[in-house]
Amino acid sequence: MEPGKNQRLFKDKPIKVLLAKPGIDGHDRGMFVLAKAFRDAGMDVIYAGLLPTPEEVVDTAVNEDVDVIALSLLNGAHLTVFKKVVDLMTKRGIDDIAVVGGGTIPDEDKPKLEKMGISGNYGPGTPLSVIIEHITERAIEARKKKLGIQ
Amino acid sequence: MNKEELIEGILRGDRRAVSRAISILEASMNAELGRFILNSIYPHTGKSQIIGITGPPGVGKSTMIGKLCELLVEQGSNLAVLAVDASSPFTNGSILGNRIRMQSDLTKSGVYMRSLSTHGVSGGLSRAVWEATSVLEAAGHDTILVETVGAGQADLDILELADTIAVVLAPGLGDELQAIKAGIMEIGNIFIVNKKDREGAYLSMKEIEDILSINPGKGWNPPVVGTNSLTGEGFDELIRYISEHNRYEKDNGGKKRRRVYNTILMAVKMRLDSMVAEELEVVRERLSAEEQLHSRNPYEIADEYLKEDVKRLISFAK
Repeated sequence: MEPGKNQRLFKDKPIKVLLAKPGIDGHDRGMFVLAKAFRDAGMDVIYAGLLPTPEEVVDTAVNEDVDVIALSLLNGAHLTVFKKVVDLMTKRGIDDIAVVGGGTIPDEDKPKLEKMGISGNYGPGTPLSVIIEHITERAIEARKKKLGIQ
Repeated sequence: MNKEELIEGILRGDRRAVSRAISILEASMNAELGRFILNSIYPHTGKSQIIGITGPPGVGKSTMIGKLCELLVEQGSNLAVLAVDASSPFTNGSILGNRIRMQSDLTKSGVYMRSLSTHGVSGGLSRAVWEATSVLEAAGHDTILVETVGAGQADLDILELADTIAVVLAPGLGDELQAIKAGIMEIGNIFIVNKKDREGAYLSMKEIEDILSINPGKGWNPPVVGTNSLTGEGFDELIRYISEHNRYEKDNGGKKRRRVYNTILMAVKMRLDSMVAEELEVVRERLSAEEQLHSRNPYEIADEYLKEDVKRLISFAK
């Protein structure tokens, strides 16, 4: 969009994404790449910082009312930690926030994550446009549920 | 969740209800529901102390709020935080980075914090801040900390919202002349020189004190306090000033009443703005269709366009 042409002020609220690396993982260069790409795609981006607990991730997602939680790990703990995030959400009855995953996730683990409702699960080398498209898709889903208040 | 449950949830202080209400008001994505929420919660607002934290980017506002959360909660305050960050003028996207500076304190103290994007509005706050503040008041928070974007000299919207304004500065930002300039240096009820451990902090404090003492007013004279968010130095003093100013405002201030007045004016302005935005869109389309405008006086062209369109705008306003 050209500068000064921002007339979206009175239209819809942008997609809001929480980026998080729950568990012990201190490599957040990739998170910054994603944060900037999402911002450039017109989203509101919150980064949860290094080493948040799954509880913190869910609390933040609720307080900020995000549309999508984007989780990433490269240390192999995804089946444990991602699951914990999803379990906490189920326990609190949260069904209007989508969860996507990414990082170094072996192919054989992807169906297990999908089964938990964690989609995407992209690895290194994935074009940013693919990730943005997927997040947008899931965000629309979540937003529809949020708008269910009558 | 139906809308009655939503209101009930807000008044109970339920975080999901509060968060959802703020989203609805932030988006104007469901104007009717937004209006219902505001109508229902407004009788429950107007009792909290709203503290504005403003100042240039990078002086440590967010970190300071983290520390304040810890200390104010210890003193029994039912606190909530709103923090505004800037949106991109090109894509409308934003990185809401305030939270990261205070996350560990938020977790420890259990304080509710919400990040908001300016979504293209200048002035240092987002439009949704007023509504979000009302939601938090209705949810029973007695103190609400509002952090502006990293403010320039003229980002003064906080003046219309806060009961107490703390202007946060850091050493080395400028000399005495900088301190007597119009704008942000006039609006503080409390001036804070943060990063007190840095070189020049004492001098900065003295310079601001000097300028403030040139013509002391009758009522509240803004104090200057040096702080260090990492060690907690100066925070006892800061919190004392905050509660002193709260008492002063309650006894003498007309800020609450002025705020009601200003909020109504702003609501009118927002309605007009949205009409103007639509109007601009029409003009933009017409302009892009025409060529060779560059050799003419832009004001004349504007008049030409308005002659026809202003009538439509007026009839629309009716």
